[in-house]
This record gives sequence, structure tokens and C-alpha cells, in this order.
Amino acid sequence: MKIDKKEKAVVVIGSGPGGAQVAYQLTKQGIPVVLLEAGRRIMKEEYVNEEWPAFSQMAWLDKRTMTGNSRIVKDFNGLPTWLVKAVGGTATHWAGATPRFLDYEWKTKSTYGSIDGATLMDWPIDGKEMKPYYVKAENAIGSTHRGGRPPLPANNNYKVFAEGAKRNGYKFYATGPYGTNAAPYDGRPASIQDGFNFQGDKSGAKWNPNVSEIPKALATGKLELRTNSQAVQITTDSSGKADGVLYMDTKTKALHRQEAKVICVAGNSIETPRLFLMSASSRFPNGLANSSDQVGRNYMRHLTGSVYATFDKPVNFFRGETMAGFLADEVKHNPKRGFAGGYYLETLALGPSFLGAFLDPGKWGKKFADMMDGYQNMAGMWIVGEDMPQANNRITLGSAKDAFGLPAPNVHFDDHPNDTAMRNHAYEKGEAIYKAVGAKQTYRVTPYPHTHNLGSMRMSAKAKDGVVDKHGRCHDVKNLFVSDGSVMTTGAACNPTLTITALAIRQGEYLADQLKKGNV
Amino acid sequence: MKITRRELLISAGSLLAYSQLGSLANAEVNIAAQPGDQEMIASMCKALYPHDRFPMNIYMDIAAGAIKKGNADTGAKISFRAGLDGLKINKFDKMNFKKQTKYLKSIENTPFFGLVRGHTVVALYDHKEVHKIFGYEGASFDRGGYKDGEYNDLSWLPEPRIEEHPDLTAFLDDSSPKKYASLKIKKTF
Ligand SMILES: Cc1cc2nc3c(=O)[nH]c(=O)nc-3n(C[C@H](O)[C@H](O)[C@H](O)COP(=O)(O)OP(=O)(O)OC[C@H]3O[C@@H](n4cnc5c(N)ncnc54)[C@H](O)[C@@H]3O)c2cc1C
Repeated sequence: MKIDKKEKAVVVIGSGPGGAQVAYQLTKQGIPVVLLEAGRRIMKEEYVNEEWPAFSQMAWLDKRTMTGNSRIVKDFNGLPTWLVKAVGGTATHWAGATPRFLDYEWKTKSTYGSIDGATLMDWPIDGKEMKPYYVKAENAIGSTHRGGRPPLPANNNYKVFAEGAKRNGYKFYATGPYGTNAAPYDGRPASIQDGFNFQGDKSGAKWNPNVSEIPKALATGKLELRTNSQAVQITTDSSGKADGVLYMDTKTKALHRQEAKVICVAGNSIETPRLFLMSASSRFPNGLANSSDQVGRNYMRHLTGSVYATFDKPVNFFRGETMAGFLADEVKHNPKRGFAGGYYLETLALGPSFLGAFLDPGKWGKKFADMMDGYQNMAGMWIVGEDMPQANNRITLGSAKDAFGLPAPNVHFDDHPNDTAMRNHAYEKGEAIYKAVGAKQTYRVTPYPHTHNLGSMRMSAKAKDGVVDKHGRCHDVKNLFVSDGSVMTTGAACNPTLTITALAIRQGEYLADQLKKGNV
Repeated sequence: MKITRRELLISAGSLLAYSQLGSLANAEVNIAAQPGDQEMIASMCKALYPHDRFPMNIYMDIAAGAIKKGNADTGAKISFRAGLDGLKINKFDKMNFKKQTKYLKSIENTPFFGLVRGHTVVALYDHKEVHKIFGYEGASFDRGGYKDGEYNDLSWLPEPRIEEHPDLTAFLDDSSPKKYASLKIKKTF
């Protein structure tokens, strides 16, 4: 469908899990949508099964800077995050783990109480309200172990993980839930165990919007997908409502304007606040919808880290699915461990190319080489847990400019002591898992550039505490919505995309209803 | 451009050295163009990431790439020249491994070291021959993926359960905010 630029349209910005889902929910109900995506559409045949070439093919490499006490500041300064600029968004890279929030994780302020330096806050929604949307999200993604869908088989990396977990007395390990088909589902095939999930997954067994919501929305005939179209400013009318989007053709650098009646922003937790800050005007001097001064604040990246281990005998952990092992025993809040919140352990395999870069950035010498030398006998896992929201962990417009002359975002991130305590606990438990099955050498790996980017456009009951309300609608601008993970009030322990999807389905249904009633 | 960005990711310390690969063609004075220079750099690459299993030709490939970057711009050239000179004067390639490590430690903060190390860690572990030696098989899509009996051929541990534990749902569902709020945190940092 072609939508005139002069027509006041529903405009969605960003085609990742958040944006694509909202666009699909609306078009499915007959509402025309213009979807602006900064990247291009890469079809699955084009995906490259090599780590660095695939990274160059799709990563968001526009200039960003970083400050704070995180090691990434030193090791990967130009690349604080690991995000994708392409149709389907970062889910092109994603591994597919789909756990849900626990009930108390919607209410961390009430549950954990006050923690110094942390800006914990309860979400204005709860687990009961979200339950039906989680079911819809799991069915949209096709999560294994859910909705009658079978589990993925055990690969070698999982065998080491599961037995080590068992010998440590853990119970809650399994090969999922993951958003990669174990059996054909929703027109997509079963996994052929070819790995390279992070590189897009050529077979299409892995869910991502580029192989699901985007083609479905296009099939409704109501979607206009404009690729290479990067939104750079949202404009407002004299009443303070959003009335248009200025966007640039990233190829020709020509600037265009789309008139809008409703705008949903889903550019992920750095680009979304950046766009709001770049949309400052005389009416909104601190940035659009920022009367609370919360735009860009409370940015979270999850507590992460990895543990790798080498053994006497071969593992060949690179064979098969990249991630296909999941452990939930440590997820429950248990302050006796010395920190609030909890974490999951998930299997993860990297090729030698990425492993060399990420195992211990900056390190050299015999110990490092010996670890790499054990590649064939190696197993690996990733840690993901709740990190503490902090007001000064924050996205701002820096003084540096990107290649388009736009202010590059600066990402400031300091670990909270709770994060550090949790990471150390998880390292110990991860190592114990591998030691129980005979690890020769174990290695604690610091966080990779951020893959889970959350917060920065906080959802809150009161306008003074956050940017958006419980439907993701801006407190200050009633026809402006945020549809990605940046709305997260707090991040919970779980990987975020299932929740982003559930929230987007909920928002899409709400917005369709409001549009039909003429309330926006 | 692709290569520039890739290395930008890995070696933040030497960003400047990498930022102008494009001007290579017009270089007049080339650094590390003497006989033996590539071997000298290769010995440094090997001391940085020592693998007995890797034949020297792999390190020679890596050295060639490092030298190319050392010639990328004037800044890279002058630091690379000085660094290489240091290796030669100290007969780095004739030192034993322990001495080499000690020497490398002493120059760890130089741009030359940053450039060679940053290049080596990326290029070495991305090298096709290294992948072979490591037993890394890489892409399998064209042959229909890793087969049953390949991706799960590990036999030194028992076959694990793949389904979730029957108690998992109850464990996750038991998460009422009220109940968990009663677990008091003593330390608030
Ligand atoms: C290696 C890796 C593994 C991961 N594994 C998991 C996992 O196992 N489980 C899980 O839950 N999550 C995982 N994630 C995270 C997951 O990918 C993200 O949570 C998810 O993609 C976020 O969705 P989103 O829609 O908020 O943003 P994104 O997916 O980042 O989409 C944002 C889109 O908006 C576009 N955009 C940005 N700014 C603009 C603009 N101004 N104009 C137009 N378009 C714009 C971008 O190009 C992009 O396409 C992983 C991520 C990585 C990198």
C-alpha cells in the first residue's frame, strides 16, 4: 500500500519486535500504517554464516559514545551496544530465549524495598493483567515448551550444562523456552541445527519480525514499509500534539516529512530517547514529552556475563543451535545471597572469531591462548539477571556528531553494587556447574556490548515519575506512543523480547480500539 | 570500511590508527619493508597469542595485515616505525618466550603495541586455517545443518532431560509480591 506523505497517517518508527508487532496488530484490524525503518530489508537468503561479515552486514554502527565505570567503556568505546539496523530489528541477531516476568518483578519497589542508589519503581501493570498477552506473545513467537510446542533436542553444549546443573542439585533446567521452532510452526520450518542464530538464521526456523509480522502485515495490504528511512525529529502542532515525522533517506540523505495523526516510536532504548531529545522545541525545551526529565534516564542493560570452560574431551559446542539451554533455579529473589533479584543461566556458543574478541578484551599471553586452544573441548553459558535502574544511567545527546551531522547519543552506565554482587554469585555458580563435570579451566567473561537495552522511557502511573502511561502513551503528548523495551520501568531477570512483544500486542489492540472510537 | 569498523569494535585503544585505511594507496615511505621485518612482527604476534599448533605461516599472514595497518596513515607509520625499531634493537625474535613476554609488558601502553595486538586478536582467530586447527566447522546450512549424531555426539556424559521439570510452573507461579516482600534485605549497599 502507498500512503501519501501529506496524509495524516499512523506512523510507526522502527521495525523490531516492538514496532513490527504494533504495525501488524493495527494493519490486521484494517488500519493503514506507515512503518519507517532506518535500515534496509535483508532477506534470509542474504544472511552470511560467518561472524564478522554478518556483523558488518546488519549491526547499527552509527557513532555512539560511552561513559561510566563499565569495562565496555574501555574495551568497546565506539560500540556500547550490539544492535541491528535492518527490518526485523535486533531480533535478527537475537538468540530466542523467551522467559516471562515473575509476578513480583512487576512490583520491585514494593517487593525489594528501597535500595540505595537504585530508582526502583512498581510498574502500573501487573502479572495478572499481562498473562493473556504473554500467551499471545508466546504463540506469535512460537516459543518451545509452550502452547503444546515440543522442546528443542539436546545439543552438546546443553549436555554439559544440564549434567553439571543436575550434579549441583539444580532442577529447573531444560532446552527452552526458545523462539526457534523444534517442529514446523506458523509457516516456518523446524530447526536444522545449523547454528548462526546471531547471524539471522538462514533457514527461518528462528522467529524474528522479518520472517513473521512484516510479511503478515504486508499481506494485509495496509502496510507501507519504508526502508532506509530514519526518523530524525517529531514535530508538534500549536496544541502540543504530534503532527508529523521528519525522516531522512539514509542513502541520499534527503529529508522527508510524513504527516501523522498517531506516532509509535520503537527504535530501541538508545534511538527512542535520542529522537525525543532531538525533537526539543520552544514548547518542549527539554525534549519532547520530557516534562518529568525522565527521557533517557534509568537506562538498563541487564546484569550479564559469561562462563566458559574447557574439558579433557571434545564438546564441539558450536554445532547446532546457538542457545538451547536454560536454567531457572537462581531466578528467585533471595536476599540471603547478598543481593536483590535473580538471574538465569543460558547456554551460549560463539565461533572462534567472536570468542577471540569477547573472551577477555585487551588480554594477551599464554593463559588466554591456552583457553582459546581448548576451543573444541569448550562449553559456554551466559548469565542474565535483573540490574538496578539508576537515574544517572542515561542516554543523552553528546557533543560528537554522527555521519549525518546529528548529535551522537552518549550512553552512561555504572554498575550498581547489587549488579556486581549478583554477577559474582552467578560466576561462582556457573563455574560450579562446569567443575562438577570435570572442567579443566574455567573463564569468567565480562559483559559483551549491551544486547538487552531497556528503560530510558519509563512507564509510570504518575506523569512526574516517567514518560509513558500503562499503555505506552506519553503522559505529555496524547497521540505519541512508545512501543519498545525502553518503556520498561524495571527489567526483571528475564530476556526482554517476549515482554516487549506482549506489551506491543496489548498496545496495538488498545490503539486500534481507540482509533476506531475516535479517541486519538 | 567493513574492516575498519570491525576493528573499531575490538581495539578501542587504537581507534586512531585504524581510522584512515583509505589513504593506503598514496603512501610514499613504507614502514616495515625491509627483509626480515615481517618475520619480526610475526614473532611478536606469536608471543602475544602463542599456539604451538599454529604453523608460522599463519603468524606471517597476521603480520602482513598488521604492517598494512602500520602504513595506513602518518600517525600509524611513525609509531609503527618506532615500535619495530625497538623489536630489532632488542633482537626480540631471538629472545626466549619469558623474555619476550616481559618485553611486551614493557611496551604495552604504546600505540604500536595496541595496533599489533588489536589486529592480531581479531585476524588470528578469524583465520580459516586456525578454524581448521581448532576443529571449528562453521557453516553447515548448505548441507542441511548439523545432523543428528553430529550436534549431539557428545557421549562422555549421560543423556539429559530436555523437558522442563514438572515443578517448574509452580515454582515460577509462586511469586506474589506480598510473599517476596517479606524477605527483608539487610544490606542496602
Ligand atoms: C546477540 C543478541 C542476542 C539476543 N538474544 C535474546 C534472547 O535470547 N532473548 C531475548 O528476549 N532478547 C534477546 N536479544 C535482545 C533482542 O534482540 C531485543 O530485546 C529486541 O530486538 C528489542 O526489540 P525492539 O523492537 O525494542 O528494538 P530493536 O529490535 O532494536 O528494533 C529497533 C529498530 O528500529 C530501527 N530504528 C532505530 N531508530 C530509528 C529511527 N530513528 N528511525 C527509523 N528506524 C529506527 C532500528 O534500525 C531497528 O530495526 C538479543 C540481542 C542480541 C544482540
